[in-house]
Amino acid sequence: MKRFLLIFSSLLIIISGAAAGPIKVVTTTMDMKSIAEMIGGNKVSVQSIATGYQNPHFVDPKPSYIISLSNADLFVTVGLDLETGWSPQLLTSSRNSKIQRGSPGYVDASEGVFLLQVPSSVNRGEGDIHIYGNPHYWLDPLNGKVIARNITNGLERIDPSNKSFYEGNLAIFIGKIDSKLREWTAKMAPFKGSKIIAYHNEWVYFETRFGLQIVDFMEPKPGIPPSPTQLVKVIKEVTANKIKVIISSPYFTTSSSDVVSHQTGAKVLILATSTGAFSNIKNYFDLFDYDIDQLVAALK
Amino acid sequence: MNIQPAFKKKFPVLWLLFVIVFSNKAAAQIDSTSAADSTLLKQIELQMQTNNQTAPRQTRSGISANPDIGVVADFRTSYISQGKKNFDAYLDETEISFQSVVDPYIRADFFVTFGRDPDTHKYGASVEEAYLTTLTLPAKLQLKVGKFREAVGKINPMHPHALPFIDLPNAYVNYFGEEGLNDEGASLSWLLPNKAFYEELIFQATSGASESPTFHRGDNNRFVYLTHLKNSITLSDNATLELGLTGISGPNDSSRNTNIAAADITYKWKPIKLNTYKSLTWQSEFFYSNAKYSANQMSNSFGLYSFVEYQIAKRWFLTGRYDYAQKPYDKNIVEQAYSLSAGWLATEFQKIEFQGKLTNVNTLPGYNEFWLRWIFVIGAHGAHQY
Repeated sequence: MKRFLLIFSSLLIIISGAAAGPIKVVTTTMDMKSIAEMIGGNKVSVQSIATGYQNPHFVDPKPSYIISLSNADLFVTVGLDLETGWSPQLLTSSRNSKIQRGSPGYVDASEGVFLLQVPSSVNRGEGDIHIYGNPHYWLDPLNGKVIARNITNGLERIDPSNKSFYEGNLAIFIGKIDSKLREWTAKMAPFKGSKIIAYHNEWVYFETRFGLQIVDFMEPKPGIPPSPTQLVKVIKEVTANKIKVIISSPYFTTSSSDVVSHQTGAKVLILATSTGAFSNIKNYFDLFDYDIDQLVAALK
Repeated sequence: MNIQPAFKKKFPVLWLLFVIVFSNKAAAQIDSTSAADSTLLKQIELQMQTNNQTAPRQTRSGISANPDIGVVADFRTSYISQGKKNFDAYLDETEISFQSVVDPYIRADFFVTFGRDPDTHKYGASVEEAYLTTLTLPAKLQLKVGKFREAVGKINPMHPHALPFIDLPNAYVNYFGEEGLNDEGASLSWLLPNKAFYEELIFQATSGASESPTFHRGDNNRFVYLTHLKNSITLSDNATLELGLTGISGPNDSSRNTNIAAADITYKWKPIKLNTYKSLTWQSEFFYSNAKYSANQMSNSFGLYSFVEYQIAKRWFLTGRYDYAQKPYDKNIVEQAYSLSAGWLATEFQKIEFQGKLTNVNTLPGYNEFWLRWIFVIGAHGAHQY
């Protein structure tokens, strides 16, 4: 019996020892990872499931992600229905009760975000519409503050002893967003009202924040590949409005945008939709630095 | 992060107040930020003063306690180069799914199907799957209880509409039937503590009441037992390799035992950046069966299939498959088949597939089959297994 107790207590020590160390955070996207790292500092180790150059709607639920999720203390999702095709299955397979929806370790970063393009009715005849509203909200830097608040709350729920540390980092993050927003807004000010074309409907928050006007999309409906009829329509719109730029993302092919560009002279810009889209975009702030610099250069 | 640690440590409240005040001031100084933006900023700052998750300021649509409901229909036409009635058109199967988390501890998945009986041509309903899955068992265990498709390799756990071909491989049908190994029972799976790659061990005990040609419930209490070891190795961001081993043992219709050993190997390549445009899957399964029919009558047989699916464009898929199958009751009867299928996916909710298949049996004349199927989905439809 004594020996059994000794083995049992040793096992408990090993298990509790294994649980020590930084808080393990798994995020669905790189932007959530970047913000979680800025809030959590050296108290967290963060891993993102999707890369920055990957379409976040279509991530293959590889079993290796289940390993990360099964050991996670905190799970951060962009939420709404952005990851609906892959993240629920991974969460169920993780067998990790700490990070299931409703548990302290589950963070829906969209909580509190003022959503745009919320549909009044849902009909798939309109393409891949999002029932809760457009989910690409992180592309407005002000929403970065809401994301950061939600992540801070999550970290404080599971690690209350470091609350002041997280609050301090949150305050720094917010201060930096405010200061950078001033800089970004000033850079974009001369181009307020500029008309552009986008490949997919994922820029509405960016467009609204920086005063751009997306006239049309290369996709005739969200998720539907560009058709010849749509290309003709876009070419006419580009010519009529003297549009200089077609914006797209790293995970879409440029063949149809190139056709429009060739016919009209408009420039095709591959912008970053996430941190890590290109090697020089290391964090959430770099994302806007990159996109705004690219746009300013193209719209001049 | 450039935090001033000493200052922060001594005066955390002052520091926080300073940053918040500064943030507000800085926000107010953004000349080109409109009045609406200032209001939004104030709302966000207000939210920041609370420690709980902020409440949504908009009513979000679609919030309901109802389960996710989806309907998948599979309409087919088929032709076979033998027999009197060799052309047919029919709604092969309609699947209605209800899926939801039950409470913090379990989730439930129901799949009810309506299919046409090939002999009577009448439609009937059946429960394809109905099971609960635990969410909170300790030690990385997960329990599944109910009626479910069993963990034999790769094809059996999948619903037929998710496969890249219309018929099922000959060897698979010989051992498990058109409906697959799908029984009532319990399944316990354990995620092994392997940090190098994904490793899952599954043990299942089922009643053996399925329509599979191999196993039979009979009059006694003997169950069908299955063990599956799944290994998934990430080779790179773009490629994975999965290796699986399965062992099944259960009573057959002679009230003696049939044992099946199976192995599966799957290589998947999908460029992570353009993953909706190009992909390649090479998948093979091997089956070896040992069936005892009486004290001195035993049959050993072997079968396999191997297919390559290549995505040539965003909407187009091509699949080639080879089947080899010895009949389980007589290994001297050997079937070999060659299939080619093409699929066009309009969206994630609709696909049209065409398949041609040439079958040679060493004891009979060969024959050809062709199918065309149109699969369409409405409502919610969860992700399929990777």
